[in-house]
Amino acid sequence: MEILAQLIVSGIALGMIYALIAFGYQLTFATSGTLNFGQGEALMLGALVGLTLVGHMSYWLMIPLVLVFGALQGIFVERVGVQPAIKTKSEFGWIMTTISLAIIFKNVAENIWGHDDITFPSPLPTEPLQFMGIRVLPMEILVVVGALAIMLAVELFNRKSIYGKAVVATSNDRDAAGLMGINTGMVITFSYALSSMTAAFAGVLVAPLTLTGATMGVVLGLKAFAVAIIGGLNSGMGVIVGGLILGIAETTTGYYVSTGYKDVPGLLLLLLVLAIKPAGMFGKSVIKKV
Amino acid sequence: MLQIQNLHAAYGKVEVLHDISLEVPKGKVVTLIGSNGAGKTTTMRAVSGMIKPSGGSISLNGKNITGLTSNKIARAGLAHSPEGRRVFATLSVTDNLLLGAFPRLTFGRERGDVQGDLARVFELFPRLKERAGQQAGTLSGGEQQMLAMGRALMLNPEVLLLDEPSMGLAPLLVNEVFRIIAELKGRGITMLLVEQFAAAALEVADYGYVLENGRIACHGPAQQLKDDPAVKAAYLGASH
Repeated sequence: MEILAQLIVSGIALGMIYALIAFGYQLTFATSGTLNFGQGEALMLGALVGLTLVGHMSYWLMIPLVLVFGALQGIFVERVGVQPAIKTKSEFGWIMTTISLAIIFKNVAENIWGHDDITFPSPLPTEPLQFMGIRVLPMEILVVVGALAIMLAVELFNRKSIYGKAVVATSNDRDAAGLMGINTGMVITFSYALSSMTAAFAGVLVAPLTLTGATMGVVLGLKAFAVAIIGGLNSGMGVIVGGLILGIAETTTGYYVSTGYKDVPGLLLLLLVLAIKPAGMFGKSVIKKV
Repeated sequence: MLQIQNLHAAYGKVEVLHDISLEVPKGKVVTLIGSNGAGKTTTMRAVSGMIKPSGGSISLNGKNITGLTSNKIARAGLAHSPEGRRVFATLSVTDNLLLGAFPRLTFGRERGDVQGDLARVFELFPRLKERAGQQAGTLSGGEQQMLAMGRALMLNPEVLLLDEPSMGLAPLLVNEVFRIIAELKGRGITMLLVEQFAAAALEVADYGYVLENGRIACHGPAQQLKDDPAVKAAYLGASH
């Protein structure tokens, strides 16, 4: 029983990382109907830029700089890869361009930071805390709190500020939003900035718990994509639940079955959801009256 | 106020508007009538920038707005209540209305009395006030139409484009919509109105244009069009 509780706790931290990356997929999908398939690479770049920065400053001072870097990287992806595809009304162009950019980012990172994985110094004590016999790393708590905080901040922005409402309006009906005087092209660019920013943030959150390197984003990005599909591409609650399910499924399978099979249950769940409820477990179809 | 000269528009390679010229003078209501597929909605969409005209020019208050994006045209003072209402389904009624005033609320300074305008829209549409906190997607068709019109009014527009405001509504609500259009006219709001109920539209309008197969077939003062035997036979027979 204690072991199971331990596995669940470890799974939660992992799951929140997936949720945060999946949340980034949702942000761009909502406004533009496109996804950045380089989300994992945005995470990887955030982590590596963060790694370089922590050589010169504290972890906490580095975070805002990495957020700015992530936002700029997202703007770059949107301007170079996505905007031309949207302008020419190319239905699938953005898939190829975001994948291409992801590969380029990975190669650039390999040339700057090398092929080997690097240890990211932990800003918090690496000695686990004990709660009723369950060991929790302080960094794992930071992951959960940080991920929830940034998702909550985006949600508050959308609900309270007129700019956030403009983002929601663009997600509802892009043409009608344009008629309101909203520059929807700018809203889409902004959503890419926000999306890559959350990924970069996820990168510096997860880096102290894993190894950091040019290839770290590939699997994380793919699994988070599965989470986004499982939870639903338009449900905030869905990615959190989906992320936790996948995270916990991974740690428990790794222990009880074999670490070789730890990725299987999540992907089985993906296939199952796609077969039974393609909009995702929490995916909602917008109420439309005619 | 709003001037359209030799406007052409196409969907892909198919030209659907041929050489449309019309004018909406300040403070007047001008209506565009014609059968389904004549190009009424396309004309509206070309004016508000939802589609790019392939030729001709459009000016608002003497300012050339041809080919601008819809958000720039809205900022120039043109509000468009589109066909099909297009309210923001997941946002509340109040948020929908505030977004109508988006250009007046941005960059940290409020232009004009937005809260006062909100109160006036609620006065004009008491139904919307009752539903202020409700998601727009849960409103009835009639309420959504009121919301679309109210949202367009929130811009304090120089010109208001109303595309088929009575479409799909019960007869009682159709009368209500026309009562509101007459009320807005009384307040001096400049309007370009597209309507399937040609008789009612000509009743409220000052001037009318008849669109046939993407061309202006005839135009004249609304009263005169109403008495025109050809217009009567083609457009005023069945409706009303």
